[in-house]
Formats: sequence, structure tokens, C-alpha cells
Amino acid sequence: MTRWEVFKQDTVGKPYQAVGSVHAADAQHALLTAAHVFARRPSAHSLWVVPADSINSRTAQELATREVQDMGSTADAVTGTVRDEGSREQPYHVFRKSSHRRSMTFVDHVGTLEATSPAAALDRAMAEAPDAAQALAWWVVPAAAVTASSEADAASWFEPAKDKTYKQQSLYGAGPGGSSRRNP
Amino acid sequence: MADARTLSAALQAPLVARLTAMADDELVLGHRNAEWTGHAPLLEEDIALANLAQDEIGHAITWYGLRSAIDGSDPDQLVYFRDAPDFLNAWLVELPRGDWAFTMLRQYLFDAYECELLARLARSTYEPLAQAAVKVGREELFHLRHSSLWLERLAHGTTESKERLLRAMATAWPLLPQLLAPMTGAAELHAAGIWPDPSELRDAVVARTRSALEGVGLTVGPLSPASGLTDHRGTHPAHLDEVLANLQSVARADPEAVQW
Repeated sequence: MTRWEVFKQDTVGKPYQAVGSVHAADAQHALLTAAHVFARRPSAHSLWVVPADSINSRTAQELATREVQDMGSTADAVTGTVRDEGSREQPYHVFRKSSHRRSMTFVDHVGTLEATSPAAALDRAMAEAPDAAQALAWWVVPAAAVTASSEADAASWFEPAKDKTYKQQSLYGAGPGGSSRRNP
Repeated sequence: MADARTLSAALQAPLVARLTAMADDELVLGHRNAEWTGHAPLLEEDIALANLAQDEIGHAITWYGLRSAIDGSDPDQLVYFRDAPDFLNAWLVELPRGDWAFTMLRQYLFDAYECELLARLARSTYEPLAQAAVKVGREELFHLRHSSLWLERLAHGTTESKERLLRAMATAWPLLPQLLAPMTGAAELHAAGIWPDPSELRDAVVARTRSALEGVGLTVGPLSPASGLTDHRGTHPAHLDEVLANLQSVARADPEAVQW
């Protein structure tokens, strides 16, 4: 069964962030299970799912090696989305991980650009980012591989979570000495 | 608009029974769904079913709460200390969880019923009910999307998934009328604008579900015109005892406990 990477946008204007993955039969099923698994608690405004094999990933360590010179063709072979010798431009979403903080998420969406291949998209993104050398990892995703939750569904998919407060164990009065207290 | 203080005395008993039936439906279905925890075919669906179960039980708390505002009853007492004959849930929700096809088909039928019912209750003249219906209805749309998606995939999946769905239909479909049957006082509640007309609701739910089921290629048998027209709630096949034994055992082990 296909593995899908899930990207969550917490509120309008915030970047989509990679939150984890789900296994599902198809994109719509992936979106639904992603909502169950990753949007049960506040907050979420929108979800994207992308087949895991459409993600072109490069870590800082990988970029520091010589293999980086060949990654364009490697990435193309992996995605299967750019088969025409990389000659046609298409939109790519670029994500990066910039720090080790917020370990519950991996990469953040940093921009969308037109390029002829994932490698070309990454080259441009790195050239345009003044602090590219500080990035820990990059993901490049063909925009065509993204399936997004619909704006119209937000009220039924994400709003109810705002009423579901997470209850800590202490709320139930359970714990040492707390068992089976009786009415006086 | 009415609320618990201004509700006429004659309408209290029918509304209390109606809210109890609704709460009991959600409670029992929630517990049946919870039985999938650790057993669902996919980890993601295991989490999804646990979510659905929590949501349905959360809705039950809402409806018991509306009842409590009318008669001062304690929802915990209702859930943990009533015996099966006092539960007003429909047969459909108390059947064992069966296989995945049965669970998803039952969930679909219940979600479709609730979406139609809640859309009407959102216009109820009983204000607390109208407000709750809007809130619960929002979440039920998400449930309906989930169960509809599975209905489609089971119907168009493999020979086995289709066969399982057909077997589930043979059990679940004939129970739909009982879920939709009017209860005592239905005419008065409808006349007061508190609850929708049961026959109009029944036609809408049957038309919607029949069209969806036929839309995925299932042959849907006729429902007897008479079936479900009398109020059968309050009688139960043996299954409810099994649910309650599990649900109530801890609370009944120490009825005086106020904290665990």
C-alpha cells in the first residue's frame, strides 16, 4: 500500500509542515486518514498529501558529497514525473528543515518555483536563499503530486478539533493514592 | 423558541425519550466501534475508528446533557446503572461489529441518518437542541465522508470485499426502518416544531442511502412499508447485554466510588 507524506498548515499564512506519513489506497483515502491521525487536535487549516516516492529529499550531508552532482538524474528517476529529459518547466514546492527545534515536524514549505527538474528546482531554491548553507535538509515536490484538502471541508474536518481539549492524566484524579475514593 | 425552562409539561416526556434514544444510539455505536481498537485492518484506520468511537460517545454526552437539563437526570447513572430493557438504542447499532464491511456499512447508514436528522434539528424550535445539532452535524459530515469512501472502495474493490458488503447489506439494510421509526409523542413534538416529521425524515434517509448504495452497484431490496412504523425501541436482541456487561462492569464493581 502506498505511503503518503502529510503536510499540515496550522492557520492561514503559516507554512505547510511535514508532520509524518500514512498508508492509504489512494489520495482521498490518504487525506481522510491524515485528518484522523494528524488533525485530531488543534490546530489545522489545510492538509496536503504526496506519494512518498514523489518526494526528492536531500540532507546537508548528502549535498556535501560528490553525489550531489548526479542528483538531478537520480531524482528524476525516483519521481518518474520528469521523463522528457527535464526540458519542460513545471511548478515545484520547496521545503527545508532549518533547525532542530520543533522536532514534531520535519521540513517547512519555503516556496514554489518553476523548474525543469527537481534538481534544477533545488539549485534555484538554494541560490535564492542567502542562508542555504545552514539548511539541514531539503525536500522538492512536484506541485502536480500534491492532493489538498478542500477549503469547503475545513469546517467539518478541522473545526471540531478546537472543542476537543487534550485531557492530562491529572484531570481524572488518577495516580498514587487516588484510587477509589468514596463519598463521605 | 423554547428551552428547558419553558418547555411545556406535555412535551417533556416525549422529548426526554427521544433524546435518550439518540444518546443511547451514539453510546452503543461508539462502544461497538471502540472494539476495533487494536484490530483494524490498517494502523491508520485503527486510529480513525477510535476517533469515531470517541466522537459518537461525545455526541451521546451532548444528548444526555440536553435530557439532564429537562429532568435533572445524571448521565453517568443512565449509562452505567440502567439495564438493557431501559436502553432505547436501535438494533442496528448494538449488533456485533462483524467484519470491516459490516462496520463501515453500519457506520454509513447511521451517518447518513444523522446528517439528515441533524440538518432538520438545526431548525428545531427547542433552542438547545438546534444549537447542539449544528455542532454535532459538522462532525458527522466528516464521519459520512469516511464511511462513504469505504462503501465505494469495498463495492469496487475485490470480489471478496463486494461479497462481504453484500452480506453486510443483508443484515443491516432491513434494520434501517427501526432506526427511523417514530416514538411515542412524535406527532406532538413535530407539531411543536421540536422534532422533524418522522415519515418525511424516513423517506429522505431511505432515498439518500438507497441512491448511494445503488450508485456503487449494489442491489437494494425493498423495505416493507409497514416495517419500522411502530416503536420497537426498548426491546433488544441478546447483543445489548454483551455490550453493557463490558461497559458497566467497572462502575458497578464499586457504585459508591467518586474517583478512580
